[in-house]
Amino acid sequence: MKIRFWGVRGSFAMSGRDFLRYGGNTCSVELLANDGHRLLVDLGTGATEFAKHLMGAEFGKGQGKLPILLTHTHLDHIQGLPFFTPFFIKGNEIRIMGADPISGLSLEATLQNQLAPHYSPLNGLENLAAGVTISSFVPGGTLNVPGFTVQTAAVPHGSMWTTAFRISADGKTVTFLSDVEYPSLDEPLPQALALAQDADLLIHDAMHSDLDYEMRRGWGHSPARAGVIVAERAHAKRLALFHHSPDATDDMIDEVVVRTSGETNVPVFAAAEGAYLDV
Amino acid sequence: MQITFWGVRGSYPVPGAATVRYGGQTSCVEVRTAAGECVIVDAGTGMRQLGNKLAREANGQPSQYHVLLSHVHWDHIQGLPFFSPAYIPGTRISVYALLTAADELNQVIGGITRHEFFPMPLEAVPAAFDFHQVEPGVDFVVGGFHITPIALNHPFGSVGYRIDADGSSVAYVADTAPFDKVLHKQHFLAGPEPLSADDQVALTAMRDALVARLRGVDTVIYDTHFLPDEYERFPHYGHSTPDQALVICQEAGVRRLVLYHHAPGHSDEQMDQVAATYLAKGAAIGIEVLTSFEGMSLPIGAG
Repeated sequence: MKIRFWGVRGSFAMSGRDFLRYGGNTCSVELLANDGHRLLVDLGTGATEFAKHLMGAEFGKGQGKLPILLTHTHLDHIQGLPFFTPFFIKGNEIRIMGADPISGLSLEATLQNQLAPHYSPLNGLENLAAGVTISSFVPGGTLNVPGFTVQTAAVPHGSMWTTAFRISADGKTVTFLSDVEYPSLDEPLPQALALAQDADLLIHDAMHSDLDYEMRRGWGHSPARAGVIVAERAHAKRLALFHHSPDATDDMIDEVVVRTSGETNVPVFAAAEGAYLDV
Repeated sequence: MQITFWGVRGSYPVPGAATVRYGGQTSCVEVRTAAGECVIVDAGTGMRQLGNKLAREANGQPSQYHVLLSHVHWDHIQGLPFFSPAYIPGTRISVYALLTAADELNQVIGGITRHEFFPMPLEAVPAAFDFHQVEPGVDFVVGGFHITPIALNHPFGSVGYRIDADGSSVAYVADTAPFDKVLHKQHFLAGPEPLSADDQVALTAMRDALVARLRGVDTVIYDTHFLPDEYERFPHYGHSTPDQALVICQEAGVRRLVLYHHAPGHSDEQMDQVAATYLAKGAAIGIEVLTSFEGMSLPIGAG
Protein backbone atom coordinates (compact mmCIF):
# COMPACT_ATOMS: atom_id res chain seq x y z
CA MET A 1 0.00 0.00 0.00
CA LYS A 2 1.14 3.54 -0.82
CA ILE A 3 -0.03 6.84 0.60
CA ARG A 4 -0.03 10.33 -0.89
CA PHE A 5 -0.79 13.48 1.05
CA TRP A 6 -2.68 15.94 -1.21
CA GLY A 7 -3.52 18.32 1.63
CA VAL A 8 -2.01 18.43 5.13
CA ARG A 9 -3.09 21.86 6.40
CA GLY A 10 -5.74 22.32 9.07
CA SER A 11 -8.48 24.94 9.27
CA PHE A 12 -7.46 27.17 6.39
CA ALA A 13 -5.65 26.84 3.05
CA MET A 14 -2.41 28.83 3.04
CA SER A 15 -0.73 30.14 -0.10
CA GLY A 16 2.65 31.84 -0.38
CA ARG A 17 6.35 31.22 -0.03
CA ASP A 18 6.25 30.17 3.62
CA PHE A 19 4.11 27.12 2.91
CA LEU A 20 5.73 25.53 -0.14
CA ARG A 21 7.62 22.58 1.32
CA TYR A 22 4.83 21.08 3.45
CA GLY A 23 2.03 22.55 1.32
CA GLY A 24 -0.92 24.82 2.04
CA ASN A 25 -3.87 22.71 0.92
CA THR A 26 -6.40 21.53 3.49
CA CYS A 27 -6.91 17.88 4.39
CA SER A 28 -7.04 15.20 1.73
CA VAL A 29 -5.11 11.91 1.77
CA GLU A 30 -5.05 9.12 -0.83
CA LEU A 31 -4.35 5.45 -0.13
CA LEU A 32 -3.40 3.23 -3.05
CA ALA A 33 -3.39 -0.56 -2.73
CA ASN A 34 -0.94 -2.67 -4.76
CA ASP A 35 -3.82 -3.98 -6.90
CA GLY A 36 -4.77 -0.42 -7.92
CA HIS A 37 -7.73 0.15 -5.57
CA ARG A 38 -7.85 3.72 -4.30
CA LEU A 39 -9.39 5.33 -1.24
CA LEU A 40 -9.54 9.01 -0.36
CA VAL A 41 -9.85 10.42 3.14
CA ASP A 42 -11.42 13.91 3.24
CA LEU A 43 -12.18 16.50 0.58
CA GLY A 44 -10.22 19.59 1.63
CA THR A 45 -8.65 21.78 -1.07
CA GLY A 46 -5.97 19.09 -1.60
CA ALA A 47 -8.70 17.02 -3.27
CA THR A 48 -8.76 19.51 -6.17
CA GLU A 49 -5.16 18.56 -6.99
CA PHE A 50 -5.94 14.86 -6.60
CA ALA A 51 -8.87 15.43 -8.98
CA LYS A 52 -6.53 16.70 -11.73
CA HIS A 53 -4.42 13.58 -11.25
CA LEU A 54 -7.50 11.32 -11.54
CA MET A 55 -8.86 13.11 -14.61
CA GLY A 56 -5.72 12.13 -16.54
CA ALA A 57 -6.73 8.48 -16.12
CA GLU A 58 -10.01 6.54 -16.13
CA PHE A 59 -11.96 9.28 -14.31
CA GLY A 60 -11.55 11.60 -17.31
CA LYS A 61 -13.36 8.97 -19.40
CA GLY A 62 -16.15 8.40 -16.88
CA GLN A 63 -14.87 4.98 -15.90
CA GLY A 64 -13.53 5.71 -12.42
CA LYS A 65 -14.68 4.31 -9.10
CA LEU A 66 -13.69 5.93 -5.84
CA PRO A 67 -14.70 5.55 -2.22
CA ILE A 68 -14.25 8.69 -0.10
CA LEU A 69 -14.23 8.63 3.71
CA LEU A 70 -15.04 11.83 5.60
CA THR A 71 -13.74 12.40 9.11
CA HIS A 72 -16.33 15.16 9.60
CA THR A 73 -17.88 18.09 7.73
CA HIS A 74 -15.95 21.14 8.94
CA LEU A 75 -15.10 23.21 5.86
CA ASP A 76 -11.40 22.36 5.76
CA HIS A 77 -12.41 18.72 5.18
CA ILE A 78 -15.07 19.29 2.50
CA GLN A 79 -14.25 22.60 0.76
CA GLY A 80 -12.80 20.77 -2.26
CA LEU A 81 -16.07 18.93 -2.92
CA PRO A 82 -17.63 21.49 -5.30
CA PHE A 83 -14.40 21.51 -7.36
CA PHE A 84 -13.68 17.77 -7.43
CA THR A 85 -13.86 17.39 -11.22
CA PRO A 86 -14.56 13.61 -11.37
CA PHE A 87 -18.02 14.53 -10.00
CA PHE A 88 -18.75 16.31 -13.28
CA ILE A 89 -18.08 13.32 -15.58
CA LYS A 90 -20.99 10.99 -16.25
CA GLY A 91 -20.14 7.38 -15.57
CA ASN A 92 -17.80 7.84 -12.63
CA GLU A 93 -19.05 6.13 -9.50
CA ILE A 94 -18.14 7.88 -6.28
CA ARG A 95 -19.28 6.85 -2.85
CA ILE A 96 -18.92 9.26 0.06
CA MET A 97 -19.07 7.70 3.51
CA GLY A 98 -19.14 9.46 6.85
CA ALA A 99 -20.93 9.76 10.15
CA ASP A 100 -23.98 12.00 10.51
CA PRO A 101 -23.05 15.27 12.26
CA ILE A 102 -24.36 15.65 15.80
CA SER A 103 -26.59 18.55 14.69
CA GLY A 104 -29.28 16.05 13.77
CA LEU A 105 -28.92 16.62 10.01
CA SER A 106 -27.84 13.62 7.97
CA LEU A 107 -24.48 13.63 6.19
CA GLU A 108 -26.32 13.86 2.88
CA ALA A 109 -28.40 16.85 4.01
CA THR A 110 -25.26 18.57 5.27
CA LEU A 111 -23.49 18.16 1.93
CA GLN A 112 -26.69 19.32 0.17
CA ASN A 113 -26.47 22.47 2.29
CA GLN A 114 -22.89 22.99 1.14
CA LEU A 115 -24.15 23.00 -2.45
CA ALA A 116 -27.29 25.05 -1.72
CA PRO A 117 -27.91 27.74 -4.35
CA HIS A 118 -26.80 30.55 -2.05
CA TYR A 119 -23.37 28.97 -1.64
CA SER A 120 -22.71 27.18 -4.90
CA PRO A 121 -23.88 27.42 -8.51
CA LEU A 122 -24.01 23.59 -8.52
CA ASN A 123 -27.31 23.97 -6.67
CA GLY A 124 -27.44 20.48 -5.20
CA LEU A 125 -25.88 17.04 -5.32
CA GLU A 126 -28.38 15.97 -7.97
CA ASN A 127 -26.59 18.20 -10.50
CA LEU A 128 -23.32 16.28 -10.22
CA ALA A 129 -23.15 14.28 -13.45
CA ALA A 130 -21.28 11.34 -11.93
CA GLY A 131 -23.07 8.71 -9.90
CA VAL A 132 -22.57 9.99 -6.36
CA THR A 133 -23.92 8.07 -3.40
CA ILE A 134 -23.70 9.32 0.14
CA SER A 135 -23.98 6.88 2.95
CA SER A 136 -23.90 7.46 6.68
CA PHE A 137 -22.43 4.99 9.13
CA VAL A 138 -22.27 4.83 12.89
CA PRO A 139 -18.60 4.88 13.94
CA GLY A 140 -17.35 1.87 15.87
CA GLY A 141 -17.69 -0.78 13.18
CA THR A 142 -16.01 -1.78 9.96
CA LEU A 143 -16.76 -0.44 6.47
CA ASN A 144 -17.04 -2.37 3.26
CA VAL A 145 -14.55 -0.65 0.95
CA PRO A 146 -13.27 -2.65 -2.04
CA GLY A 147 -9.59 -3.47 -1.68
CA PHE A 148 -9.26 -2.24 1.92
CA THR A 149 -10.22 -3.21 5.44
CA VAL A 150 -11.50 -0.15 7.29
CA GLN A 151 -12.26 0.08 10.98
CA THR A 152 -13.82 3.22 12.44
CA ALA A 153 -14.16 4.90 15.82
CA ALA A 154 -15.60 8.19 17.05
CA VAL A 155 -13.07 10.47 18.78
CA PRO A 156 -13.70 13.82 20.50
CA HIS A 157 -13.13 17.06 18.58
CA GLY A 158 -14.04 20.00 20.80
CA SER A 159 -17.78 19.94 21.33
CA MET A 160 -18.34 17.31 18.64
CA TRP A 161 -16.95 14.01 17.33
CA THR A 162 -14.91 13.08 14.31
CA THR A 163 -14.37 9.64 12.80
CA ALA A 164 -10.94 8.03 13.04
CA PHE A 165 -9.95 5.24 10.64
CA ARG A 166 -7.71 2.18 10.66
CA ILE A 167 -7.12 1.27 7.02
CA SER A 168 -5.37 -1.96 6.00
CA ALA A 169 -4.31 -3.43 2.68
CA ASP A 170 -1.41 -5.57 1.44
CA GLY A 171 -0.56 -6.54 5.02
CA LYS A 172 0.06 -2.89 5.97
CA THR A 173 -1.96 -0.58 8.21
CA VAL A 174 -2.42 3.21 8.28
CA THR A 175 -4.27 4.86 11.18
CA PHE A 176 -5.84 8.26 10.63
CA LEU A 177 -6.46 10.27 13.82
CA SER A 178 -7.33 13.87 12.87
CA ASP A 179 -9.06 16.11 14.13
CA VAL A 180 -8.87 14.98 17.73
CA GLU A 181 -8.25 16.21 21.26
CA TYR A 182 -8.26 13.76 24.15
CA PRO A 183 -9.73 14.81 27.51
CA SER A 184 -6.26 14.27 28.97
CA LEU A 185 -3.10 14.45 26.89
CA ASP A 186 -1.43 11.70 28.90
CA GLU A 187 -4.40 9.34 28.67
CA PRO A 188 -5.36 8.85 25.01
CA LEU A 189 -8.76 7.23 24.68
CA PRO A 190 -8.88 3.43 24.35
CA GLN A 191 -10.63 3.56 20.96
CA ALA A 192 -7.75 5.68 19.59
CA LEU A 193 -5.15 3.27 20.96
CA ALA A 194 -7.04 0.29 19.55
CA LEU A 195 -7.13 1.80 16.05
CA ALA A 196 -3.41 2.62 16.20
CA GLN A 197 -2.26 -0.73 17.63
CA ASP A 198 0.86 -1.91 15.73
CA ALA A 199 0.04 0.41 12.80
CA ASP A 200 2.76 0.82 10.21
CA LEU A 201 1.93 4.52 9.98
CA LEU A 202 0.00 6.68 12.45
CA ILE A 203 -1.22 10.01 11.01
CA HIS A 204 -2.08 12.25 13.95
CA ASP A 205 -3.48 15.75 14.51
CA ALA A 206 -0.57 18.04 15.41
CA MET A 207 -2.23 21.42 14.95
CA HIS A 208 -0.73 23.11 17.97
CA SER A 209 2.76 23.75 19.15
CA ASP A 210 3.15 22.81 22.82
CA LEU A 211 3.06 26.52 23.70
CA ASP A 212 -0.12 27.25 21.73
CA TYR A 213 -1.79 24.21 23.20
CA GLU A 214 -1.77 25.70 26.67
CA MET A 215 -3.87 28.60 25.34
CA ARG A 216 -6.12 26.48 23.13
CA ARG A 217 -7.13 23.52 25.26
CA GLY A 218 -10.64 22.43 24.49
CA TRP A 219 -10.59 23.73 20.90
CA GLY A 220 -10.53 20.17 19.57
CA HIS A 221 -6.94 19.78 18.35
CA SER A 222 -3.75 18.19 19.63
CA PRO A 223 -0.12 19.16 20.00
CA ALA A 224 2.53 16.88 18.41
CA ARG A 225 3.09 15.29 21.82
CA ALA A 226 -0.38 13.64 21.72
CA GLY A 227 0.59 11.70 18.60
CA VAL A 228 3.83 10.59 20.25
CA ILE A 229 1.97 9.25 23.26
CA VAL A 230 -0.49 7.31 21.08
CA ALA A 231 2.29 5.96 18.85
CA GLU A 232 4.37 4.76 21.81
CA ARG A 233 1.50 3.14 23.71
CA ALA A 234 0.06 1.50 20.60
CA HIS A 235 3.48 0.47 19.23
CA ALA A 236 2.93 2.27 15.93
CA LYS A 237 6.00 2.01 13.71
CA ARG A 238 6.01 5.54 12.33
CA LEU A 239 4.29 8.83 13.17
CA ALA A 240 3.21 11.47 10.64
CA LEU A 241 2.34 14.86 12.14
CA PHE A 242 -0.72 16.18 10.29
CA HIS A 243 -3.28 19.02 10.19
CA HIS A 244 -0.60 21.70 10.47
CA SER A 245 -1.73 25.08 11.78
CA PRO A 246 -2.27 27.76 9.14
CA ASP A 247 0.15 29.88 11.17
CA ALA A 248 2.91 27.23 10.98
CA THR A 249 5.47 28.13 8.30
CA ASP A 250 7.74 25.49 6.76
CA ASP A 251 10.56 26.49 9.13
CA MET A 252 8.29 26.24 12.16
CA ILE A 253 7.18 22.73 11.14
CA ASP A 254 10.84 21.75 10.68
CA GLU A 255 11.47 22.77 14.29
CA VAL A 256 8.49 20.78 15.57
CA VAL A 257 9.79 17.67 13.79
CA VAL A 258 13.28 18.06 15.26
CA ARG A 259 11.95 18.67 18.75
CA THR A 260 9.40 15.86 18.59
CA SER A 261 11.94 13.39 17.20
CA GLY A 262 14.16 14.16 20.18
CA GLU A 263 11.41 13.09 22.57
CA THR A 264 10.70 9.59 21.24
CA ASN A 265 12.21 6.53 19.60
CA VAL A 266 9.30 6.35 17.14
CA PRO A 267 10.40 7.73 13.75
CA VAL A 268 8.56 11.04 13.22
CA PHE A 269 7.98 13.14 10.11
CA ALA A 270 5.64 15.96 9.20
CA ALA A 271 3.13 15.08 6.48
CA ALA A 272 3.83 17.03 3.30
CA GLU A 273 2.15 17.35 -0.07
CA GLY A 274 4.15 15.44 -2.65
CA ALA A 275 5.00 12.02 -3.96
CA TYR A 276 3.60 8.57 -3.17
CA LEU A 277 5.19 7.03 -0.07
CA ASP A 278 5.42 3.35 0.75
CA VAL A 279 3.58 2.52 3.96
CA MET B 1 -8.98 56.59 -1.28
CA GLN B 2 -6.73 53.59 -1.32
CA ILE B 3 -7.63 50.00 -2.19
CA THR B 4 -5.73 46.88 -1.12
CA PHE B 5 -6.23 43.40 -2.56
CA TRP B 6 -6.19 40.63 0.10
CA GLY B 7 -7.51 37.87 -2.14
CA VAL B 8 -7.65 37.96 -5.96
CA ARG B 9 -8.51 34.36 -6.82
CA GLY B 10 -11.87 32.95 -7.86
CA SER B 11 -13.61 29.67 -6.91
CA TYR B 12 -11.31 28.25 -4.25
CA PRO B 13 -7.94 28.97 -2.62
CA VAL B 14 -4.93 27.59 -4.49
CA PRO B 15 -1.74 27.16 -2.44
CA GLY B 16 1.52 26.11 -4.01
CA ALA B 17 4.55 27.15 -6.01
CA ALA B 18 2.47 28.20 -9.04
CA THR B 19 0.61 30.99 -7.17
CA VAL B 20 3.31 32.55 -5.00
CA ARG B 21 3.42 35.90 -6.79
CA TYR B 22 -0.24 36.60 -7.65
CA GLY B 23 -1.54 34.84 -4.55
CA GLY B 24 -3.87 31.94 -3.88
CA GLN B 25 -6.56 33.41 -1.60
CA THR B 26 -10.10 34.20 -2.74
CA SER B 27 -11.93 37.51 -3.17
CA CYS B 28 -11.42 40.28 -0.63
CA VAL B 29 -10.63 43.97 -1.18
CA GLU B 30 -10.12 46.70 1.44
CA VAL B 31 -11.21 50.22 0.53
CA ARG B 32 -9.95 53.02 2.76
CA THR B 33 -10.44 56.79 2.80
CA ALA B 34 -7.66 59.28 3.49
CA ALA B 35 -9.17 59.71 6.98
CA GLY B 36 -8.85 55.97 7.62
CA GLU B 37 -12.48 54.89 7.23
CA CYS B 38 -12.80 51.43 5.73
CA VAL B 39 -15.19 49.15 3.89
CA ILE B 40 -14.36 45.56 3.02
CA VAL B 41 -15.69 44.17 -0.26
CA ASP B 42 -16.27 40.43 -0.17
CA ALA B 43 -15.27 38.02 2.53
CA GLY B 44 -13.29 35.35 0.67
CA THR B 45 -10.28 33.63 2.20
CA GLY B 46 -8.17 36.79 1.77
CA MET B 47 -10.18 38.20 4.65
CA ARG B 48 -8.21 36.15 7.18
CA GLN B 49 -5.00 38.05 6.55
CA LEU B 50 -6.83 41.39 6.43
CA GLY B 51 -8.46 40.52 9.76
CA ASN B 52 -5.10 39.73 11.31
CA LYS B 53 -3.84 43.18 10.24
CA LEU B 54 -6.96 44.96 11.49
CA ALA B 55 -6.84 43.10 14.82
CA ARG B 56 -3.22 44.19 15.31
CA GLU B 57 -4.21 47.79 14.55
CA ALA B 58 -7.18 47.52 16.93
CA ASN B 59 -4.87 46.25 19.67
CA GLY B 60 -7.66 44.45 21.50
CA GLN B 61 -10.11 47.34 21.23
CA PRO B 62 -13.51 46.71 19.64
CA SER B 63 -14.35 48.51 16.42
CA GLN B 64 -17.01 48.53 13.73
CA TYR B 65 -16.46 46.88 10.33
CA HIS B 66 -18.56 47.13 7.18
CA VAL B 67 -18.55 44.21 4.75
CA LEU B 68 -20.15 44.56 1.31
CA LEU B 69 -20.86 41.17 -0.26
CA SER B 70 -21.25 40.76 -4.02
CA HIS B 71 -22.98 37.42 -3.40
CA VAL B 72 -22.63 34.51 -1.04
CA HIS B 73 -20.88 31.79 -3.02
CA TRP B 74 -18.24 30.10 -0.86
CA ASP B 75 -15.28 31.91 -2.41
CA HIS B 76 -16.80 35.23 -1.30
CA ILE B 77 -17.75 34.36 2.29
CA GLN B 78 -15.37 31.64 3.46
CA GLY B 79 -13.01 34.06 5.21
CA LEU B 80 -15.67 35.47 7.50
CA PRO B 81 -15.35 32.85 10.28
CA PHE B 82 -11.57 33.45 10.25
CA PHE B 83 -11.80 37.26 10.56
CA SER B 84 -10.03 37.69 13.87
CA PRO B 85 -11.59 41.05 14.92
CA ALA B 86 -14.89 39.08 15.17
CA TYR B 87 -13.47 37.47 18.30
CA ILE B 88 -12.88 40.79 20.11
CA PRO B 89 -15.90 41.39 22.37
CA GLY B 90 -17.74 44.60 21.53
CA THR B 91 -16.87 44.45 17.83
CA ARG B 92 -19.73 45.17 15.46
CA ILE B 93 -19.80 43.75 11.94
CA SER B 94 -22.34 45.10 9.46
CA VAL B 95 -22.88 42.88 6.44
CA TYR B 96 -24.52 44.19 3.26
CA ALA B 97 -25.75 41.83 0.55
CA LEU B 98 -28.23 41.23 -2.17
CA LEU B 99 -31.01 39.06 -0.84
CA THR B 100 -34.75 39.13 -0.63
CA ALA B 101 -34.78 39.58 3.12
CA ALA B 102 -32.18 40.55 5.67
CA ASP B 103 -33.44 37.72 7.86
CA GLU B 104 -32.66 35.22 5.15
CA LEU B 105 -29.19 36.74 4.87
CA ASN B 106 -28.71 36.12 8.56
CA GLN B 107 -29.64 32.47 7.93
CA VAL B 108 -27.16 32.17 5.07
CA ILE B 109 -24.27 33.76 6.91
CA GLY B 110 -25.25 31.92 10.07
CA GLY B 111 -25.22 28.73 8.01
CA ILE B 112 -21.45 28.99 7.42
CA THR B 113 -20.80 28.75 11.10
CA ARG B 114 -23.40 26.10 11.78
CA HIS B 115 -22.00 23.12 13.53
CA GLU B 116 -21.47 21.09 10.40
CA PHE B 117 -19.12 23.55 8.72
CA PHE B 118 -17.33 25.44 11.49
CA PRO B 119 -16.80 24.83 15.21
CA MET B 120 -18.45 27.98 16.52
CA PRO B 121 -22.05 29.02 15.77
CA LEU B 122 -22.56 32.64 14.73
CA GLU B 123 -24.45 33.43 17.96
CA ALA B 124 -21.40 32.38 19.98
CA VAL B 125 -18.99 34.66 18.09
CA PRO B 126 -18.25 37.64 20.37
CA ALA B 127 -18.86 40.28 17.68
CA ALA B 128 -22.40 41.52 17.10
CA PHE B 129 -23.58 41.14 13.51
CA ASP B 130 -26.21 43.14 11.69
CA PHE B 131 -27.41 42.41 8.19
CA HIS B 132 -28.57 44.82 5.52
CA GLN B 133 -30.22 44.02 2.25
CA VAL B 134 -28.97 46.00 -0.74
CA GLU B 135 -30.99 46.67 -3.87
CA PRO B 136 -29.59 47.72 -7.23
CA GLY B 137 -30.75 51.26 -7.87
CA VAL B 138 -30.98 52.15 -4.18
CA ASP B 139 -27.84 53.98 -3.09
CA PHE B 140 -26.77 54.04 0.54
CA VAL B 141 -24.20 55.70 2.75
CA VAL B 142 -21.69 54.03 5.07
CA GLY B 143 -19.72 56.67 7.00
CA GLY B 144 -17.92 58.75 4.41
CA PHE B 145 -18.65 56.31 1.57
CA HIS B 146 -21.46 56.74 -0.94
CA ILE B 147 -22.31 53.29 -2.29
CA THR B 148 -24.19 52.43 -5.47
CA PRO B 149 -25.18 48.77 -5.89
CA ILE B 150 -25.21 47.52 -9.49
CA ALA B 151 -27.02 44.34 -10.65
CA LEU B 152 -24.70 41.78 -12.28
CA ASN B 153 -25.19 38.60 -14.30
CA HIS B 154 -24.29 35.58 -12.17
CA PRO B 155 -26.07 32.39 -11.04
CA PHE B 156 -28.74 33.33 -8.45
CA GLY B 157 -27.74 36.99 -8.69
CA SER B 158 -24.75 39.09 -7.76
CA VAL B 159 -24.24 42.77 -7.14
CA GLY B 160 -21.35 45.10 -7.93
CA TYR B 161 -20.59 48.28 -6.02
CA ARG B 162 -19.56 51.75 -7.09
CA ILE B 163 -17.91 53.36 -4.09
CA ASP B 164 -17.41 57.14 -3.95
CA ALA B 165 -15.38 58.89 -1.24
CA ASP B 166 -12.74 61.61 -0.96
CA GLY B 167 -13.90 63.00 -4.32
CA SER B 168 -12.88 59.84 -6.15
CA SER B 169 -14.48 56.54 -7.00
CA VAL B 170 -13.79 52.85 -7.47
CA ALA B 171 -16.14 50.15 -8.77
CA TYR B 172 -16.11 46.47 -7.87
CA VAL B 173 -17.66 44.44 -10.70
CA ALA B 174 -17.56 40.77 -9.66
CA ASP B 175 -18.83 38.18 -10.18
CA THR B 176 -20.40 38.63 -13.57
CA ALA B 177 -20.82 36.99 -16.93
CA PRO B 178 -21.02 39.25 -20.00
CA PHE B 179 -24.46 40.36 -21.12
CA ASP B 180 -25.02 38.52 -24.38
CA LYS B 181 -25.11 34.71 -24.42
CA VAL B 182 -26.56 33.76 -21.05
CA LEU B 183 -28.98 35.36 -18.59
CA HIS B 184 -28.43 33.89 -15.16
CA LYS B 185 -31.56 33.24 -13.15
CA GLN B 186 -32.57 31.26 -10.12
CA HIS B 187 -31.88 27.77 -11.46
CA PHE B 188 -28.98 25.48 -12.30
CA LEU B 189 -27.57 25.80 -15.81
CA ALA B 190 -25.99 22.68 -17.30
CA GLY B 191 -25.22 24.80 -20.37
CA PRO B 192 -26.39 27.95 -22.17
CA GLU B 193 -30.18 28.08 -22.65
CA PRO B 194 -31.97 29.82 -25.55
CA LEU B 195 -32.71 33.47 -24.75
CA SER B 196 -36.31 34.73 -24.94
CA ALA B 197 -37.12 38.26 -26.11
CA ASP B 198 -37.62 39.21 -22.44
CA ASP B 199 -34.22 37.74 -21.58
CA GLN B 200 -32.60 39.89 -24.29
CA VAL B 201 -34.32 42.97 -22.90
CA ALA B 202 -33.19 42.11 -19.36
CA LEU B 203 -29.58 41.61 -20.45
CA THR B 204 -29.51 44.88 -22.37
CA ALA B 205 -30.99 46.74 -19.42
CA MET B 206 -28.45 45.23 -17.02
CA ARG B 207 -25.57 46.10 -19.32
CA ASP B 208 -26.81 49.66 -19.91
CA ALA B 209 -27.20 50.26 -16.18
CA LEU B 210 -23.68 48.93 -15.50
CA VAL B 211 -22.14 51.18 -18.18
CA ALA B 212 -24.10 54.18 -16.86
CA ARG B 213 -22.96 53.62 -13.26
CA LEU B 214 -19.33 53.15 -14.30
CA ARG B 215 -19.22 56.55 -16.03
CA GLY B 216 -16.70 58.80 -14.31
CA VAL B 217 -15.28 56.02 -12.11
CA ASP B 218 -11.51 56.29 -11.60
CA THR B 219 -10.75 52.57 -11.32
CA VAL B 220 -12.84 49.51 -12.15
CA ILE B 221 -12.09 46.10 -10.59
CA TYR B 222 -13.63 43.48 -12.89
CA ASP B 223 -14.25 39.71 -12.82
CA THR B 224 -11.89 38.48 -15.56
CA HIS B 225 -11.80 34.85 -14.45
CA PHE B 226 -11.57 33.43 -17.96
CA LEU B 227 -9.27 33.67 -20.93
CA PRO B 228 -11.27 33.86 -24.19
CA ASP B 229 -10.94 30.16 -25.07
CA GLU B 230 -11.98 29.14 -21.56
CA TYR B 231 -15.02 31.39 -21.76
CA GLU B 232 -16.10 29.74 -25.00
CA ARG B 233 -16.13 26.37 -23.24
CA PHE B 234 -17.91 27.59 -20.08
CA PRO B 235 -20.10 30.59 -21.02
CA HIS B 236 -22.69 29.51 -18.44
CA TYR B 237 -20.32 29.64 -15.44
CA GLY B 238 -21.02 33.30 -14.76
CA HIS B 239 -17.61 34.90 -15.39
CA SER B 240 -16.05 37.27 -17.93
CA THR B 241 -12.82 37.71 -19.87
CA PRO B 242 -10.49 40.75 -19.85
CA ASP B 243 -11.62 41.55 -23.41
CA GLN B 244 -15.25 41.76 -22.28
CA ALA B 245 -14.21 43.98 -19.36
CA LEU B 246 -12.29 46.28 -21.73
CA VAL B 247 -15.36 46.75 -23.95
CA ILE B 248 -17.50 47.77 -20.96
CA CYS B 249 -14.81 50.12 -19.63
CA GLN B 250 -14.27 51.71 -23.02
CA GLU B 251 -17.99 52.43 -23.41
CA ALA B 252 -18.13 53.91 -19.91
CA GLY B 253 -15.07 56.08 -20.52
CA VAL B 254 -13.16 54.40 -17.69
CA ARG B 255 -9.38 54.95 -17.78
CA ARG B 256 -8.14 52.26 -15.39
CA LEU B 257 -9.17 48.59 -15.23
CA VAL B 258 -7.94 46.04 -12.68
CA LEU B 259 -8.18 42.36 -13.68
CA TYR B 260 -9.49 40.31 -10.76
CA HIS B 261 -10.97 36.93 -9.68
CA HIS B 262 -8.30 34.93 -11.49
CA ALA B 263 -9.18 31.30 -12.31
CA PRO B 264 -7.66 28.90 -9.77
CA GLY B 265 -5.79 27.04 -12.52
CA HIS B 266 -3.93 30.11 -13.80
CA SER B 267 -0.28 29.94 -12.75
CA ASP B 268 1.94 32.95 -12.11
CA GLU B 269 3.51 32.46 -15.56
CA GLN B 270 0.10 32.50 -17.23
CA MET B 271 -0.88 35.57 -15.22
CA ASP B 272 2.31 37.32 -16.36
CA GLN B 273 1.22 36.67 -19.95
CA VAL B 274 -2.32 37.87 -19.23
CA ALA B 275 -0.90 41.02 -17.61
CA ALA B 276 1.39 41.78 -20.57
CA THR B 277 -1.24 41.01 -23.22
CA TYR B 278 -3.93 43.20 -21.69
CA LEU B 279 -1.57 46.00 -20.68
CA ALA B 280 -0.87 46.36 -24.40
CA LYS B 281 -4.50 45.89 -25.50
CA GLY B 282 -5.64 48.47 -22.96
CA ALA B 283 -2.92 50.97 -23.88
CA ALA B 284 -4.08 50.82 -27.50
CA ILE B 285 -7.49 52.22 -26.46
CA GLY B 286 -6.32 54.54 -23.68
CA ILE B 287 -7.09 52.26 -20.72
CA GLU B 288 -4.45 51.43 -18.13
CA VAL B 289 -4.86 47.71 -17.35
CA LEU B 290 -3.43 46.37 -14.10
CA THR B 291 -3.52 42.73 -13.03
CA SER B 292 -4.29 42.39 -9.34
CA PHE B 293 -2.09 40.36 -7.03
CA GLU B 294 -2.36 39.65 -3.33
CA GLY B 295 -1.01 42.59 -1.36
CA MET B 296 -1.35 45.13 -4.19
CA SER B 297 -2.33 48.61 -2.99
CA LEU B 298 -3.54 51.33 -5.33
CA PRO B 299 -4.25 54.97 -4.68
CA ILE B 300 -7.61 55.99 -6.19
CA GLY B 301 -7.99 59.53 -7.53
CA ALA B 302 -6.04 62.35 -5.96
CA GLY B 303 -6.61 61.58 -2.28
